[in-house]
Amino acid sequence: MNGFVIALIAIVGLTLVKATPLIFAALGGVLSERSGVVNIGLEGIMIGGAFTAVCVSGATGSPWLGAIAGILAGALLAALLAFVATKLAYDQIVAGTGLNIVALGAAAFGLVLVFGQPGASREVPAFGQAGETVLTVLALVLAAALSLFLNRTPWGLRVRACGENPRAAAAAGIDPLRTRFWAVVTGGAIASLGGVFLSLAELDLYSDGMTAGRGFIALAAVIFGRWTPFGATGAALFFGFFSALQYTLQRAGIPSELMQALPYLAALVALAGLAGRVRAPASDGIPYVAEALRPRSGQARPEGSR
Amino acid sequence: MAAFFRLRIVRDLGIALIVVFGVGSIAMLLAHVSPFDGFYALFDGAFGTTSEFAETLVSATALLFPALGVALAFRAGLFNIGAEGQLVLGGLAAGVIGVFVPGPPVVSIVATLLAGAIAGGFWGGIAGFLKSRFGANEVIATLMLNVVAALLATYAVDGPLHFATANEGETPLLAKTAWLPTIVPDTRLTISIVIALLLALALRFVFNRTIFGFELRAAGEAPEAARRAGVDLRSIALQAMTYSGAIAGLGGATLVTGVLHRFNTGLSPGYGFVAIAVALVGNLEPIWIAVAAFAFGILQNGALSMQAEANVPRDIVNVIEGLVIIALAGRRYIASRRTT
Repeated sequence: MNGFVIALIAIVGLTLVKATPLIFAALGGVLSERSGVVNIGLEGIMIGGAFTAVCVSGATGSPWLGAIAGILAGALLAALLAFVATKLAYDQIVAGTGLNIVALGAAAFGLVLVFGQPGASREVPAFGQAGETVLTVLALVLAAALSLFLNRTPWGLRVRACGENPRAAAAAGIDPLRTRFWAVVTGGAIASLGGVFLSLAELDLYSDGMTAGRGFIALAAVIFGRWTPFGATGAALFFGFFSALQYTLQRAGIPSELMQALPYLAALVALAGLAGRVRAPASDGIPYVAEALRPRSGQARPEGSR
Repeated sequence: MAAFFRLRIVRDLGIALIVVFGVGSIAMLLAHVSPFDGFYALFDGAFGTTSEFAETLVSATALLFPALGVALAFRAGLFNIGAEGQLVLGGLAAGVIGVFVPGPPVVSIVATLLAGAIAGGFWGGIAGFLKSRFGANEVIATLMLNVVAALLATYAVDGPLHFATANEGETPLLAKTAWLPTIVPDTRLTISIVIALLLALALRFVFNRTIFGFELRAAGEAPEAARRAGVDLRSIALQAMTYSGAIAGLGGATLVTGVLHRFNTGLSPGYGFVAIAVALVGNLEPIWIAVAAFAFGILQNGALSMQAEANVPRDIVNVIEGLVIIALAGRRYIASRRTT
């Protein structure tokens, strides 16, 4: 019995560690998408946060400054996406795909430039175990805060209005472009904390590919969690749980690839509406172009797409 | 109209060139390398010798297949960003079938290529089916399917499809009869480039001269009008994603039969993603896509010697490619605004 309790605590702890970066990224995705901008670039934003945090922590010796720099880097990358997605009305999905490629390449390039070696950085001052706990608690608190923000504050209402019907929002005096811009930038800052967690709390270095598709899993969590902060957090915990079980189940003969594929398969099932109806914000992914300037802006998707 | 199209292509290529030389130069300066030396090493590596030039064409071919596939789906308004997964599974199918189907050269080559196209088409078709049957967003679906494809391939070659004669992460070497014949002796340049160019010509015909091509475009640029005119949007979505995946899968198969002669889980260093940039720069026009694929082939292959000769990390090429994608992400909206 005692052994069982210890094993249980170990699994819960590992679940939280595995889920925390996913929660941060997914919350960033929720905020962005509720304002009407699909953020495919979450993976790239996490990479930017993780890499910059390590660089600055290594240069200054302070993981705190590293974390702040990581958040700024994430916000900056998100601002690039936000700018082309709002002001320029570019296609968000194509731009987000580009952002991921840019961030991955830039981090690999920067690794050689800053640390003089490809593959991985040297070890830098990091937060360690205590930081893991603090960031995990912060992730859960942020989920509650974001939920309150979206559902109980006038600003949250504005964000949601821009995601559902930006034209109506504009008629009510809200500036959809500005609202979306700041939602994406703030979302990027939150998502980059997931990268900071990986590089300065779980580990103390940056290595190429360390985000390992977590930005995409977070995207899956957003959908599986039906675009709500608590839903996305729940999905992230669910995916984190299977990630934590991976090693145990692998020993039981279940291929680890299947466990790794699980979040993606779950998202596909959710997308297909097989796990109950899912509905994205109505104007998610559709650039807003002011009525008077350019009549009849292009619709991003055919009707009925999610 | 035609003149306008050309102008836009010229402008897009101009943007791409500015990004390449602008960002490239900045990166080289950051790496304490003079841009002149850096770009010299890049172009020397891409054109310097016959074998280097052949290698550039090999890279261009590897990009051309998935880019044509991506363009087909994009034309129908479907963002197939799953070319990477479709290519990998096409390669896996080719690698496995190639081992099982010995026999006269023509038979085994056709069998392997066909297997690649079918596997890629199946994988693309899943996203198409989810789209047409359930209205599932194809972007997210293909994104997820990319990862699942990579995991599936890893599982397959190390698990149920593992051959005793093969190393971890790959299938055994194919029999010589299944190798694509080379065009230039002692290089890896095979007839796959001819196949790719013929495919580009065929797609040009399909896009511009057939009812299916017209329906693709109508579904992409004015779905509501197309629907009212009797175009079955669901069927178009399924077909477009399937064909798109089949083309990418065929590309994966040519990498197996022509370049590596076996499937390896590291088959593609992201060709399916760079293909998006190639398709956008090529303005979704097959012939221009071939030109764009050549340009990106220069970058991909030249980057290796830029790293070796001038000490500029080749990852900068990814940054450039990503920025080109972002810079051209507005293209489709220009197109749809023009036509509606």
